[in-house]
Amino acid sequence: MAEIDFNEDDILTRASTGDRDAFGRLYEQYVDRIFNYVYYRTGNIHDAEDLTARVFQRAMNHIKNYTDRGVPFSAWLYRIAHNLVANWHRDRSRRQEIPLDELPVLPTKGDHPERNLVRSQEQGALLRLIRRLPPERQTLLILKFVENMSNAEIGEIMGRSEGAVKSLYHRTLLSLRDQLGDQNINLEGE
Amino acid sequence: MTMNLQDDFDTLEERLAGTLKPVSPPRDLIQRLRERVRFPAREEIVLRFQDWRKLFLIFGGVMSGLLVLITVARAFFHLARKQM
Repeated sequence: MAEIDFNEDDILTRASTGDRDAFGRLYEQYVDRIFNYVYYRTGNIHDAEDLTARVFQRAMNHIKNYTDRGVPFSAWLYRIAHNLVANWHRDRSRRQEIPLDELPVLPTKGDHPERNLVRSQEQGALLRLIRRLPPERQTLLILKFVENMSNAEIGEIMGRSEGAVKSLYHRTLLSLRDQLGDQNINLEGE
Repeated sequence: MTMNLQDDFDTLEERLAGTLKPVSPPRDLIQRLRERVRFPAREEIVLRFQDWRKLFLIFGGVMSGLLVLITVARAFFHLARKQM
């Protein structure tokens, strides 16, 4: 799942005894990925920053409760993020929603600013559709495309089997394709 | 729409891959986050107290606790006075 170039087990053991430097290493390792997940789920840089901070604060406060029961630390972090984002959406549903494509778009890795402008214009419609999907489908797409995870890895985070993830992915693509068709958006982008 | 499902899926996957790309959070944001994680800012403490449902539960819990304490204390004094 991650390109782990350090002994995570050792660092986790140290972090669980209250070693803040060890937790700092875990933070460095995962902050970008958690931020990416939260950013795509909220569509808002400021809320993404706030929620990412809360994910790591909660992880730091509860790291003593984390025991490796076959679920990697990264999956545990994503579950915290998933729960916090769900709470955020629940609180926000009472207020006004701000669509992702109206917000400033962060540069994607390896892209030039001009390319990003074109990207935000061309892909706004698709992002809007993604944000209308049920939360679990949004999570699945983000983990698959942004985080480049396999179905098995996604299953660990979402608490589903690999087959269930595959099936959910298929239904999500079908639904997206139909919605694009309903809105007369050509898949070829012509 | 294109002719068959697999073609549609392949094209859709390409568009999704082009849309859902990893973003680079600004370095100053990462630095701010690091500081917030290590030292929770005051605003977060204030935010916690803006959660009225939780605040109401805490208030209710404290009041109930006080009531129990007062009842125990009254029972204790009542018994102590009886023995005298």
